[in-house]
Amino acid sequence: MVKRAVFMQHLLTDQQKARHIEFKNFVTLNIEPFAEQWDREQRIPDHVISMLAKSGYLGSSLPPDYGGQGWDIVTFGLLNEALGKGSSSLTGVLTVQSMVSMALLKWGTDEQKATWLPPLAKGKIIGAFALTEPGAGSAIQSLTTEFTQCSLDNSLILNGQKQWISCGQHAGIFLVFGKLGKSSIACLVPATTPGLEVEAIHGLMGFRAAGLAKLTFNNVKVRSSDIVGKPGFALSHVAQVGLQYGRISTACSGLGLLRGCFEESIAYAAVRKIAEKNVGEFGMIRSLIARMGTDLEAGSFLCHNACRSEDDHVPEAFEKTLTAKYFTSRAAVRAASDAVQIRGASGCHESSSVSRYYRDAKIMEIIEGTTQIHEEILGKIFVDQADRSGT
Amino acid sequence: MSTAEENGVKETVKRFILSSIAIADLDDDDNLFESGIVNSLFAVQLMTFIEKTFAIEVEMDDLDIDNFKSLNATTAFVIRKNGRRSG
Repeated sequence: MVKRAVFMQHLLTDQQKARHIEFKNFVTLNIEPFAEQWDREQRIPDHVISMLAKSGYLGSSLPPDYGGQGWDIVTFGLLNEALGKGSSSLTGVLTVQSMVSMALLKWGTDEQKATWLPPLAKGKIIGAFALTEPGAGSAIQSLTTEFTQCSLDNSLILNGQKQWISCGQHAGIFLVFGKLGKSSIACLVPATTPGLEVEAIHGLMGFRAAGLAKLTFNNVKVRSSDIVGKPGFALSHVAQVGLQYGRISTACSGLGLLRGCFEESIAYAAVRKIAEKNVGEFGMIRSLIARMGTDLEAGSFLCHNACRSEDDHVPEAFEKTLTAKYFTSRAAVRAASDAVQIRGASGCHESSSVSRYYRDAKIMEIIEGTTQIHEEILGKIFVDQADRSGT
Repeated sequence: MSTAEENGVKETVKRFILSSIAIADLDDDDNLFESGIVNSLFAVQLMTFIEKTFAIEVEMDDLDIDNFKSLNATTAFVIRKNGRRSG
């Protein structure tokens, strides 16, 4: 198999390069041989998640004070890129763990952070980000999950449904978003809380092993001390911090999937013969591979730029992350389609990683904000910039 | 904090706001979040900007719209967070 250096190697520190090699070796040994099986069985075995935890990957960006690795965001991106090539479903565990952990790190009380961050960092508990509802996906302002003030004490009562919650089947703690009167609110809800029903979702086209679940809250009692942030700031501040890490993770995971498509395609094109000629000698195939390789290079720049901006803690980081996620998710869909096309019938069989890439890639365009939501936000940002410059 | 320093904070924040949203000018007490001119990322971008620029951390207890609703409000918040007396 031909290996390509990715993620702008010349922009990485020696430590980041060494960790990327470690991550890729982990994927080669522990993920790639099993990814098709997990996809077929629609479940990632618990011992695999334990392996992620043992390697420190589930708390990669949390500070050492809370038991995390304290790695920079570029390294977090490299981890997601490496895992994304192996299994989009498994990378989803990293995605939601980081969304819950980093939102809590920023907005949690001292008590919440002391209680939840150490087990999240060590992977002793899995977090899930309960934002999407049956009637509210990317338009998060339309949430109907309702918190009401309990008349007996200072607690809240939670009613409503959440849908398509990644890792919901594995989660021990949910960060749940909803409305308290007219204000948005976010609360921590342990999976064992009475009145919370977790129902596994099967039959997905892609992301089949990501442990998606439907959550039903029926008069669930929530302590006021479990509110994260303050009412009124759940969507504008708490969710946005989580979504920022979710988008970085997804952008880099999509880049890894793109690399998988590229490496599979060039390897196949080099050996598969049609009428005594290698597939790679045909101009039509070279065109597909040229587009894939160029997207891989461009996506690597965009992902590095997003991660580096987050490390630098600059306001542009949000826009750069949206741009990276928008680009790599769409490029991954194109690359996966072309990778199947290059392989022909063998690329359509469930034993082929490109067939799984094809199904998983489409999910990348939907999670953490659809392509259309990204276009709406980025389009406004770019038009506003033109307005300011008078062009 | 001297008036000159306060004006410096205000001017820095104003430049960021004007570079982020499509308005020609901004009065000191214009409500940024009631006008409908900001996008969904503006609140966290403004927060990140003042954290980075003025070396402060916006914490859970600071989540109050009165701290960020206008140029004057944000300036006063930055000055308070820096532990200095306004004006």
